[in-house]
Amino acid sequence: MSIRSKIVGWVVAVSAGAALAGCDSLENNIDVPLPSYSSELVVECYLEPGKVPSLTVTTTVPYLSPALPQLPDDVTVNLTLPDGTIVPLAFKPNYEVLLDTVSGIKFHTHIGRDALVARPGDVFKLEVTDSKGHRVTGTTTMLPPVPIDSLEYKFNDKTGVEREAYFLTNFRDPPTLNDCYRLQLHQGDPAKGALRREPEVDNSFEDRLLNGKPFVVGTSYRFDTGDTITATLYHTDAAFYRFRESVRDARNANGNPFAQPSAIYSTVQGGVGIFSVLSYTRATKIVL
Amino acid sequence: MVLSSAARCYLFVLLLSFGGPRVAWAQEVVRFTINGTVRGARGETLPGASVAVPALGTGTAADSLGRYSLNLPAGRHQLLVAFVGYQQVTRDINLTRNQRLSFALEESGNELGEVVVEGSVSLEQKLKTTQMGVEHLSIREAKLLPALFGEVDILKTLQLKPGVQSGGEGTSGLFVRGGSSDQNLVLIDNALVYNPNHLFGLFSVFNSDAVQSVDLYKSGFPAQFGGRLSSVVDVKMREGDRQHYVATGGVGLISSRLTYEGPINKGKGSFIVSGRRTYFDIFTRALNEANKNKEDYSPIPDYYFYDFNAKANYTLGEKDQIFLTGYLGRDTFGFNSPGGFNFDFSWGNTIGTLRWNHTFSPKLFVNTSVSVSDYKYNLTNRLDQFSFGLGSSITDYSARTDFEYTPDDRHVLKAGAQLTQHRFGVGRLEANSGDGRINFGSDVSYTGTDAALYASDNYKASDKLQLEGGLRLTGFRSGSDQYGGLEPRASARYSLSERTSLKASYALMYQYVHLVTNSGASLPTDIWYPSRLSVKPQRSQQTSAGVSFLLGRGKYLLTNEAYYKWGQNQVDFRDGAQLFVNPELDSEFIFGKSWSYGNEVYLEKKTGKTTGWIGYTLAWSWRNFQPQRGTNGVNNGEDFHPNYDRRHNLTVVALHQLNARINLTASFIYTSGSLTTLPLGRFGLQDIPGSRTGIDPRPVPIYPNRNSYQLIPYHRLDLGVVYKIGSRLNQDLTLSIYNAYNRRNAYFVFFEAVRDETTDRTTGFQAKQVSLFPIIPSLTYNFRF
Repeated sequence: MSIRSKIVGWVVAVSAGAALAGCDSLENNIDVPLPSYSSELVVECYLEPGKVPSLTVTTTVPYLSPALPQLPDDVTVNLTLPDGTIVPLAFKPNYEVLLDTVSGIKFHTHIGRDALVARPGDVFKLEVTDSKGHRVTGTTTMLPPVPIDSLEYKFNDKTGVEREAYFLTNFRDPPTLNDCYRLQLHQGDPAKGALRREPEVDNSFEDRLLNGKPFVVGTSYRFDTGDTITATLYHTDAAFYRFRESVRDARNANGNPFAQPSAIYSTVQGGVGIFSVLSYTRATKIVL
Repeated sequence: MVLSSAARCYLFVLLLSFGGPRVAWAQEVVRFTINGTVRGARGETLPGASVAVPALGTGTAADSLGRYSLNLPAGRHQLLVAFVGYQQVTRDINLTRNQRLSFALEESGNELGEVVVEGSVSLEQKLKTTQMGVEHLSIREAKLLPALFGEVDILKTLQLKPGVQSGGEGTSGLFVRGGSSDQNLVLIDNALVYNPNHLFGLFSVFNSDAVQSVDLYKSGFPAQFGGRLSSVVDVKMREGDRQHYVATGGVGLISSRLTYEGPINKGKGSFIVSGRRTYFDIFTRALNEANKNKEDYSPIPDYYFYDFNAKANYTLGEKDQIFLTGYLGRDTFGFNSPGGFNFDFSWGNTIGTLRWNHTFSPKLFVNTSVSVSDYKYNLTNRLDQFSFGLGSSITDYSARTDFEYTPDDRHVLKAGAQLTQHRFGVGRLEANSGDGRINFGSDVSYTGTDAALYASDNYKASDKLQLEGGLRLTGFRSGSDQYGGLEPRASARYSLSERTSLKASYALMYQYVHLVTNSGASLPTDIWYPSRLSVKPQRSQQTSAGVSFLLGRGKYLLTNEAYYKWGQNQVDFRDGAQLFVNPELDSEFIFGKSWSYGNEVYLEKKTGKTTGWIGYTLAWSWRNFQPQRGTNGVNNGEDFHPNYDRRHNLTVVALHQLNARINLTASFIYTSGSLTTLPLGRFGLQDIPGSRTGIDPRPVPIYPNRNSYQLIPYHRLDLGVVYKIGSRLNQDLTLSIYNAYNRRNAYFVFFEAVRDETTDRTTGFQAKQVSLFPIIPSLTYNFRF
C-alpha cells in the first residue's frame, strides 16, 4: 500500500470519527453532467512465443455510460512479423469466456492461426483499422528474458496460525539501461491453472537506481507451510512500464483527493492501448 | 539586465523620494526626535502600535519589534499611544532635546466591569499607510474565533481574509490572489518555515500560545521581503512576561498545550517556552486493541504531532537587545501491519534564530540576525533483516541585517542585506539487509546560495501624498548555474480627505526554490528544488489599486482593492513524473505562465463591543502550459483554472463581547465550488495472462481536461463562545461549533462502480460526493496561572 493511500486512509478515519458527531453519511450520490466525449479505439495485445497471437479491440466510452464493453465488429487487424510477413488476425471473439469467472482465460476479439515464433531482438508491428477511419499502429521488440537466480522464504518466529513466511525473488539486472520488470507471484499448483488466476503479488519496477545490480524482491509475511509459489519475472521495456504506471495513476486518481490525474501513456499511436511481446522466466518453490 | 519600463518609472520615483524635495523642507525649525518602545504591561512588544501627536496630525506606528521614532518640533506636545485590545495612553511631553520614552499599555478586558476602549487609531493607520494588501492579525483575535476541533489556527484565520483561499476543507494552505501555496514566504521571527503544516495541512505549525501576531502581505511587498511570488506571512513569537512567572495552557479535543514564561533578571529580559501535543494515537491504539481479533479489521496507523517553541530576550543596555528563538515540530506516523510490514514516517521543521537589535541613535536602528531552518522527512520500512529508508530535506543557514533610518518626519529609510546558504537533500534512499546482500544507497543533493540587497524609502511628500519605493537586487547560484534579478517595489497613498485614501502599488518578485509535488495538497513528501539547469526562477509581477474610506466616525474602514498579477516560468510536472530520488529531476518539470485578477471589498471594525469584518472577493486565476518536453503540456496546452480558483468568496466574521465574562463569535464563509478533474471517458483493460481474472476489470479513467468540473458551492457557519471563569478571569471554557448547520460541503467527487449483487458484475457507474467534516462541536479549557 502506498504512503499516499495510507494518508487517505488516515484522513478518512479521522473524518469517520468526526462523523460520530454528525450522525449521517459523509458520502452521497450526486448527478454529474459530463460533457460529450469522442470514443477512440482501445487495443490490448500481448504476444507470447509459442502461442497463437490474439488481441482485444474495444472502444473508450463515456464514463457514465452503461457498463457493457463496446466491441466494434468492423475492425481489421494485421500483425507484421520480423521477416515482413503480414499476418491478418481474424475477428473471432471467444464470447464463452465472458461467462467463465474461474478459468482465468482472457477474452479476445481477434486471433491468428499459427503459434508465434519470437526471439529476443525480433521486431513486430501492429496495424488496427476500422471502417470509420480510425487507425492504430504500434511497434514492439522482444527483450531477452532475465533469469531468476533463486527463490527463498523465511518464517517469522510465531506459532500456530500466525506462523507465516515471507518470500524473496533474486535476479540480476543486466548492464543495459532502462530495463523494467514485472514480478508476479502466484499461489497454487500451476498444473491446475493457478498461473491464470489473480496473483498474490504483482509489482513493477525499473532499474533506474540499480542498473546492473542484484535485485532482491520481497513480500510481507503472508505464506503458509505447503504453499506452492510460482514467480514469473517479465522483462519489459520502459514504454510498457510507463503505460502500466499511468494506468495505475489514472485509476488511483479516481477517489483520491490528493492525486493528480494522469494521462494514459499508450504504447500505440492513433488510439489507446498496449502492444508488447512478453518475455519472461518462471520458477516455482514450495514453502515447507 | 535591461530595465523594464515599470522599473524605470519606479527609479524615477525613488530618486525623487531620496533626493530633490528635501531641500524645500529645510526650514529653520528646531526639531528633536523622541523614540522608544511600546509594550504591553507584561512586556510583550506591540508591533503596529500607534504613537501619534493629534494636534500636529502626525504620528507613526511601532515597527515589528515595538520600536517607534518620531521627529517633532521642539516644545510641548501630547502623545497618544494606542493599540487594539489595549487601553490607550496619553502623555504630555516637553521636547527640548532628543528624548527616549517607552510605554507599557494595559490590556483591556482584564478586569470585571471593564470599559471597552473606543477608538479608531488602528483603522486610521490602515487608511494612511502606503502599504496595500496587508492584514494584521493579533492572536487575541484568532483565539476568540471558533476553530476546527477547537485548535486555534492563525493560518486558517487568515483564510477568512479577502483574497486568500484555502486548498480544501479544513486545510491550512494559503492560496493568495491566484498564487499556489508554495509561493508564500512563511517566516517565524525572520526564519523561513518550509512546511507550515501538521497532519497533511489540517493544522498549522503555529501554537497559538506562543504567537504574538501575524502579518499577511498580499501585494505591495516591502523591499525587505523576497524569495516567494505570492505573499508574505510574517509570524512574530511572543517574548514572555517581563514581570511575572506565568503558566498558561489548554486541554482540548485533540491536543493539549502548556506554556511557561517569566522574567530574566527582572526588567532585563524574559523567556517563554511552549509545547503542544496531540493525542490521536492514544485513541487509535485503544480502537486497534479493541478490534484486533476482527478478521476484516484494518488497524488505524498511529499518528501524533508535537511542537515546541522557545524564545528568550535580554536587554544588554539601553541600546542593545538580543533575542533567541527556537522551534521544533514533528509529525509521526507509524504503521505495523499484521503481515510484519512496518513503516515509520516522520517529518517536521527545526528552526532557530539569534537576533541582535542595536540602536545607534534615536534615528538609526539595526537589526541583525542569523538563523537556521531545516525541514526533513524520513520514511523507514522494516521487515525481518531488511530495512528501507527514504527521505528528503532542505536546510538553510541565513544571515541578514536590516537598517532603519528616520532622518526626519518625512522619510523612513530602510536598507539591508541577506545571505542564505541552502542544502537541498532532494532525495535519499537506502536499502540494507542484515546479511549484507543488499547494501544500496542513493543520495541526490545540491547546494544553493541566495543573496539579496535592498533599500527603500517611505517618503511623506505632503499631508496628502505618501510614497514608498524600494529596490531589491537578488541573486541565486547553484553549482555553475546562476541567476539574478532586480525587483522594484513601489506604492503610493493619496488622501482625498481625512477619511478617504487612494492607493496603488507594484511589485516584482523572483522565486529561486521550487516545491516538487504532483499533488493538489500539501504533503510531507513534497521536495524543494533549486533553480538549476533547465529550471529557471519563477517570476511574477503584481499591480494593485484601491480606495479606503473611514466610516461611522472612524469605527469602520471600507477598502476596495483591485489587482492584476502575472507570472512566468511557473512550474508543474509531467504526468507520471518520477519525483523521488531522481538525479535528473529537472527533466520532469514543465513550465508555463499564470495570470490572475480580481477585486476585493473589505469592511472591518476593530473597536467596540462588536468587532469583525466582512470581505468579498471576485477573482479569476488562470494557467497555461504549452506542449513541451515530449508532453502535451497541461490541458493540451489550453488555458485552465487551477483547482483553487474561486470566482466568489464571501466571509463574515463577528466577535461580540457580551460582558466581561462572555465573548460570542461567529464566522461564515461562502465560496464558489472548487475545481476538480473528473474523467470523461473510460476503457477496460484485461492485462496480461495471469493477472486479475474476469472480464469485469476496474475501468481505466481518461482525463482529457484539467479542472473542468466545479464542485458545489462551499459554505459554512462556525459559532463560538468563550466563557471566562475564576475571580481573575484567568481561565476560560471555549466552545467551538464547526459547521454549525451541518452543511455537506464537497471534499471530492469520484465515480463508483455499481455492481449486481447476484452476478457481481458491474452494471453502471455512480458519481459520489464525499464530505470531510460534519458539524463538530468541541470544548477547550484554557488557563493562565
